[in-house]
Amino acid sequence: MRRVLRLPLVLMFMSVALMAQLALSALCQSVPRRTGDLVWAIHYDPKTFDPAKVDEQASELVRYLTGGVLLRINRQTQQLEPQLAESFHISPDGTLIVFHLRKGLRFSDGSALTSADVAWSLRRVLAPETGSVVAEEFLAPQQVTVDAPDALTVRVHLPKRITEVGKIFDEIAIEPANRPSEGRITSGPFTVADYKRGQYLLLNRNPNYWRRDSAGVQLPYASGIRLDILNNNEQEIAAFLRGEYDLVDSLSPDSFGILMQKSPQSAHDLGASLNTEQLWFNQSAVAALPDYERAWFQNQGFRVAVSETIHRADLARIAYDGHATPAYDYISPANKIWHNDKLKYSQESVSDANRLLSASGFHRSGNQLYDAAGHAVKFSILTNAGNPARQKIATLLQQDLAAIGMQVTIVTLDFPALIERLMHKQDYEACLLGLSNVEIDPSAMMNTWLSSSPNHQWNPSEKTPATEWEAEIDRQMLLQASSPAQNIRKAAVDRVQQIVADQQPFIYLVYPNVLEAASPQLRGVQPAILSPRLAWNIESIHPREGGAR
Amino acid sequence: MKRVYSILLAVLLVAAAATLLWSRYDYAYQDRDAILTPSTAQHAAGTDELGRDRMVRVAAALVIGFAGSAAAAAVTIMIAAGFGLLAAFSSKTLAAILLFVSDVFLSVPWLFLLMMARSLLPLTASPLVTAVTTFLVLAALGWPACSRAIYRGAVELRNAEWMIHAHACGLMTRQRICLQLVPHLRPLLLPQFLICVPAFVVAEANLGALGLGVGEPMPSWGAMLLELDNSALLARSHWVYLPIALLVLVLLLLESFTSEMETHA
Amino acid sequence: MLCAAAGTILLVRCAPGFFSDDREMDAKYAMAAQAEISAQSESQGSIVRIAMREVESWAKGDFGESRQYGVPVAGLVGARMSTSATLLMRGILCGWLFAIVAALPISCLRKGGSLLGLPFTILLSVPTAAMATACILADAGGPVLVLSLLIAAREFKFLRSLLEGAWRSSHLLQGRAQGLTAWALVRLHILPNAAPQLRTLATLSIVTALGALVPIEVIFNVPGVGQLAWSAVMNRDLPVLVAVSLLMASVVGLAGMLSSSEFTLEAA
Repeated sequence: MRRVLRLPLVLMFMSVALMAQLALSALCQSVPRRTGDLVWAIHYDPKTFDPAKVDEQASELVRYLTGGVLLRINRQTQQLEPQLAESFHISPDGTLIVFHLRKGLRFSDGSALTSADVAWSLRRVLAPETGSVVAEEFLAPQQVTVDAPDALTVRVHLPKRITEVGKIFDEIAIEPANRPSEGRITSGPFTVADYKRGQYLLLNRNPNYWRRDSAGVQLPYASGIRLDILNNNEQEIAAFLRGEYDLVDSLSPDSFGILMQKSPQSAHDLGASLNTEQLWFNQSAVAALPDYERAWFQNQGFRVAVSETIHRADLARIAYDGHATPAYDYISPANKIWHNDKLKYSQESVSDANRLLSASGFHRSGNQLYDAAGHAVKFSILTNAGNPARQKIATLLQQDLAAIGMQVTIVTLDFPALIERLMHKQDYEACLLGLSNVEIDPSAMMNTWLSSSPNHQWNPSEKTPATEWEAEIDRQMLLQASSPAQNIRKAAVDRVQQIVADQQPFIYLVYPNVLEAASPQLRGVQPAILSPRLAWNIESIHPREGGAR
Repeated sequence: MKRVYSILLAVLLVAAAATLLWSRYDYAYQDRDAILTPSTAQHAAGTDELGRDRMVRVAAALVIGFAGSAAAAAVTIMIAAGFGLLAAFSSKTLAAILLFVSDVFLSVPWLFLLMMARSLLPLTASPLVTAVTTFLVLAALGWPACSRAIYRGAVELRNAEWMIHAHACGLMTRQRICLQLVPHLRPLLLPQFLICVPAFVVAEANLGALGLGVGEPMPSWGAMLLELDNSALLARSHWVYLPIALLVLVLLLLESFTSEMETHA
Repeated sequence: MLCAAAGTILLVRCAPGFFSDDREMDAKYAMAAQAEISAQSESQGSIVRIAMREVESWAKGDFGESRQYGVPVAGLVGARMSTSATLLMRGILCGWLFAIVAALPISCLRKGGSLLGLPFTILLSVPTAAMATACILADAGGPVLVLSLLIAAREFKFLRSLLEGAWRSSHLLQGRAQGLTAWALVRLHILPNAAPQLRTLATLSIVTALGALVPIEVIFNVPGVGQLAWSAVMNRDLPVLVAVSLLMASVVGLAGMLSSSEFTLEAA
């Protein structure tokens, strides 16, 4: 009897032991943490390490961490600060910029950094064959010339004045002349050391970095950085709580709630970001919409009524767990320089909305709204999958708009399919998306507001402005882009904000708050609203001492 | 006992339908002052993240999800059985071609077909239409996984003595398949059905990323199951476990019912 | 394999979003992205041209370049194959071990089998993402455990059903009446007679495991072929998807061949 039971018992024991072993095995094999490293996760692989060819956010972060630049925007004060350039001077007509380099600059491989390297790097960015996105910011890059009269001086000649030209140099990394190295020989705080696609990116400290702290200690303090490629929120938070990660950028409201419970000193809510969540209607003349629908969406009263019906405070409270601010304007109050404090906008009121709709020819029958021709007001709102807060907003909007008799269907699509409908076919009725504003200056938003731009979402690529108010927006945006006087620029931008509030081409809903997490064991972290929010002063962040928490 | 299980299952579904019909709250109504509340007098199973009554939504999801996934699972099993049996009773060449088609079906990324299906539907298609489309598509795409197992089973059984005896008695191929063979394939068909039901429930929710699935505000059983991957939600409400508890109960009842059928066969 | 590749090319090329780029929504990068897309659109051509170009390059051993990474597809997929193969092998072996060990004793019970099989019913109902979250929250387990449990849950149903049917056969009743122990019956009668079906199920569990590979690798961030395939789907990376389809077709074809080979065994 014992013999015949032996094998099944052995099998059972093996399977229990195996299950226990699998349960206790490490969750994932990650690279061991090097002492003195700062570690956090990015959500996808950088597409390139060539700083001149950066065209997405992950690569932009790598360029920020590795590339030495002439000037840098301090993400907290939002002021330009000299970096490799000790000083700079812009001529009164704005067509000549002169940079004076610091003495004794070196690349990470020990070679000297001179004006020849700076000139070469600038010319490389400006060259059409490089295909650099930054070149477009010079407006006419082929007419820009660079010369280096001596080893420490660089002169940039522009065909015409560019507003806020200094900020462009924040995005141009200086590389060794004729030796582009894709981030391996740099003048910034770190260099690219190792990269495994889908797993991690390792950066090493630049031993020849020019900067020192007030005590004369060479920066950066960290000996390196490890960026794990990880697109799983739960894993990222769990790793942070275990002490494997030092920073978490852009927390979701849910994750922020978890951190507030488990590690409140590590969670930071910086208030409203520069980003917006907005709803807009398709007003394009070429869209495949029935004429009556296009007429609704082009009707100002219709759009304003929709705006007045939406309970923005509920969106902020419910979809973002209170970590968002109701929005009525495309410029967030976090943008203190350009936000219009005196903006007049419609307050939330269902009765006002109903009155507006009646005045615009709509009428109610039971729970359904109809237009003057008897068409029931039903439309779809398109949004992208994978954003839980946005999907909650869409569902909340369904109930809000039902209060004025509009029937809304929500359609979530994956991003490529959504972009095809929005940008290529204009095959949609309404869209709910967010806009990431990475810069303070309104000139960065030209592509959104100029009626001829393909990113003029509600009616892209107009040959001529379809309405007088769009023409007025064009005029004001071009004025603010070309005027050197700050007060003229501010007045123009204020005017645009008021037009947008009156016409509601974009119905702004909320400004999501900036939610970040940083290990309390780090010293020197100063979260900012501008990206990279936690790593903007990376060279001044002290890594934790010892092992994990 | 078979009757008991079927009655229990029917009672569950009727209770769900009754909850849906006679609840004071609509499944879409958002009580925005009662977000993620625990069980109260107004909301017996609490509310979800948008303040909607969880009991009503779970009841609606159960009815829609069970009807859709069970129907889709039944259709996919029938297609797989038809395919496998056709291959088993055809010539070697035709069988090879049919199995080849099944293998190609498994290798091709059908996700893109689903994307095309969504792009063909009007944007204002109601949640019910997209739900029905989703389950139809799942039914049409789920068969290759088990068709080969059914083919193998049928090949093993077609030369059994009792099949030869039935042939000798003059039964036609169709009669032999339906009356003799299919009942013997139940050990393969029924587990596959029980596997397909929860798989389709979850697949429907995953297809929400492509614009298919059950659209808001209609409740989706799969979407409720997917809430289990949100640790923040798990910490705030224990009622998130209700949908999975019901799914396990439904599967247990189905399994007990089908194994009783086996015992008495 | 050619049919699988042709089907993939047709589906991916015709699917919405093939010529879309996330960067089009970013005003800063939109123009560069649109210029790239126009260039791509002109060079791609019709579906027939794409297919002919792909076949030509395969003949030379070149699987093309990934659209999203800009590196050779062969290197990209090759580097990940061992990770996925290891995960699959361990998951299938462990899953079958769990399933057999559970199914054998449960199948011989007259009553209560459904209740004892409750853990597997629960496993079938829990989405993969939820299992992964449970592992993460418990700080235990990982992709192999989740894959094993998924396979075990599925195979348990089949095994239990097969074994229950086998227990009810008349020659087994005869054996039990003559005093043979349960283990002897399993070893000498049940397993040999069920061997062809078990073999078919085992080879087909490769197909199940392949299906589960994608969500598991994505959720656990395992750098395998499944994660690459998902990324390729989201980015409409046609060359990678064609390569993955060819790989799938090979594995599925091999599994099919293994399950089809003739096998006869006489009962002891």
